[in-house]
Amino acid sequence: MNRLLRTSAIRLSLRYAVFYMLVAGTGLTVLYWATSRYVDAQIQAGLEHHINSLKALYEAEGSVGLVRALDGRGLAAEPENHRFILYMDKSGGRLAGDLKSWPPAAEPDDQVRNIWIEDSLIPLAMEDHDGYWPSIATTFPDGSRLLIAQSVRQAEDLQEFILGTLFATLGMIIALTLVLGWRMGRQLLARIDQVNTTADKILNGHLEQRIPLSGSDDEFDELAQNLNAMLDHINRLIHGMRQVTDNVAHDLRHPLTRMRNRLDVTLLEPRDVEDYRESLQATRNDIEDVLKTFNALLEIAQAESGHFRGEMEIVSLSALASQLGEMYEDLFEEQGQQLDVMVEPDICIRGNRQLLAQSISNLLENAHKYAGDKAHVALSLRREQTTAVLTVSDDGPGIPKDRLKDVLQRYVRLDAARSTPGNGLGLSLVSAIAQLHHAQLLLEDNAPGLAVLLRFAPKTCPSGQ
Amino acid sequence: MHLLFIEDDQEAAAWLIKGLQAVGHVVDHAADGENGLHLALTGDYDVLIVDRMLPKRDGLSIIRMLRADGDLTPALVLSALGEVDDRVEGLRAGGDDYLVKPYAFDELIARLEVLTRRNKDQAPATQLKIADLILDLTTHKVTRAGQIIRLQPKEQQLLEFLMRHQDQIVTRNMLLEHVWDFHFDPQTNVIDTQISRLRSKIDKGFDKPLLHTIRGRGYRLSENE
Repeated sequence: MNRLLRTSAIRLSLRYAVFYMLVAGTGLTVLYWATSRYVDAQIQAGLEHHINSLKALYEAEGSVGLVRALDGRGLAAEPENHRFILYMDKSGGRLAGDLKSWPPAAEPDDQVRNIWIEDSLIPLAMEDHDGYWPSIATTFPDGSRLLIAQSVRQAEDLQEFILGTLFATLGMIIALTLVLGWRMGRQLLARIDQVNTTADKILNGHLEQRIPLSGSDDEFDELAQNLNAMLDHINRLIHGMRQVTDNVAHDLRHPLTRMRNRLDVTLLEPRDVEDYRESLQATRNDIEDVLKTFNALLEIAQAESGHFRGEMEIVSLSALASQLGEMYEDLFEEQGQQLDVMVEPDICIRGNRQLLAQSISNLLENAHKYAGDKAHVALSLRREQTTAVLTVSDDGPGIPKDRLKDVLQRYVRLDAARSTPGNGLGLSLVSAIAQLHHAQLLLEDNAPGLAVLLRFAPKTCPSGQ
Repeated sequence: MHLLFIEDDQEAAAWLIKGLQAVGHVVDHAADGENGLHLALTGDYDVLIVDRMLPKRDGLSIIRMLRADGDLTPALVLSALGEVDDRVEGLRAGGDDYLVKPYAFDELIARLEVLTRRNKDQAPATQLKIADLILDLTTHKVTRAGQIIRLQPKEQQLLEFLMRHQDQIVTRNMLLEHVWDFHFDPQTNVIDTQISRLRSKIDKGFDKPLLHTIRGRGYRLSENE
């Protein structure tokens, strides 16, 4: 309940309740005031009219006529008017009317004013009570006085009714907004509780938990979707990190063990200088390998995390591919292989030149190492519909068709052929760099051989490139 | 050469100083940034070797202070941060070269050599010359013993870099960085093949070979063996 009170829905509905109360309260108060004014005016006009008609009667028929008319009227004559009349002679004797005696505050000056009428003045048959009644009084030429007083009962009834309506309306508004706010708050809390529950589960190690969607596509669903996407991304990063840690452990354990064994054996007994030198040299070479592996793994992790801090700019892929093709040509020739470079000019993409160069070089070096002697390798860059496709293909042994998918799968998960370290890491890095550049990496059967395709979204080359 | 080595890892520093002394350098060592800046400002050094992450004052700020002070002593920045942008940042701060840990000792030596030479001959030359090999920088013509040698643009850039650093050992990584502007380690001997191609053009058919391979370290363009 305490939580419910703190929800924004309840706060908002309370705020609205106060606001509506103010609006409705002001409106009804104005109505109340206007009605009172109207009623007062009506009463005043009624009293003035009444006394004027009685004055006319007096002028026509004299005091006797007036008394007769008043007596004939009787008490029940105008009960709905709640008007009380008293007609007295000069010396204060009661001639006609309902009131028992002249109220002390009544002045016979033809002015309507509110005067105090006590219960004792009111005839018992009338269901009225004391109060300030609007009254009018006059003196006739013969010194007799006439008083007409209007019971406030009717006006009070009306005022009571209006006041009652006012409070009932306000009460209803408060009740309605509170119920609505409470319900909204409950709904809100229920949705938020789902998020909290999920967060708790994740904190307790169930990293695969996701916030359920209501399917209504509302802002809560949107929030949940965003949070879920964020969780997915974090999960991927954690997964990648774990994978890297595992890979590092796997790739470094072997050479480290080898080095340790070698050094242990070297230190076992005295040897000549040449043996020591040989052992140290071999260890140094091992360390070199370890560092290369280590660097490659770090680079993959960096690229895979999508958190590359380097500059992304418009790079001429054409220039880069030509440059690398030229650089690697001789390497292939040396081994009796052939590298054909076919590059369409003026293809640019947005990316990091160093990383792109590294991935192209990795693909070329892979082909060089695994396509075999006398292999024909082709580096090509061409436009294909709206994409730019960079291909490194060879006519070597390739990868069996049924395993192409496996290898690709393993790329994606940074778990490339661990049994052949150089290759695995090289391709993993290509995959990570491709991902970073939003490029599509495809492995295809080149029949015979392997074709690796990188499909980029081209950009306009800046002039001068 | 008189070197100032600013590095807080005492053990690593001790070994490196030993190595630098063994190849004939005089080395002063500072173990933190403040001390390093003080020595750099007061002493007269040929090259500064500055680690990026130091206690009290970071390496790049030392270089910035020196440059602001008009001190142009070449500085080689050492760093464990190896991303492309870290390198750029290091060079922008006024560093003259950047080496990422772990680096090979030979690489460090070679780069120190290059930095001191660069500092010495600053007069713009119109031609580079070694023995009878001449590279004309205005006409871009290469001749050896008067014979014109035709080179591809990249081969010519490679030759120019080697000629500018003649008699020094340049490593494969230095060539990759300065000639091709690539900052990665190829897993193959692709640089060697580029050197062989250049060698076949400038040395083949002439008595005296100029382009020498220094086993396990790099290359040297020199009249002497």
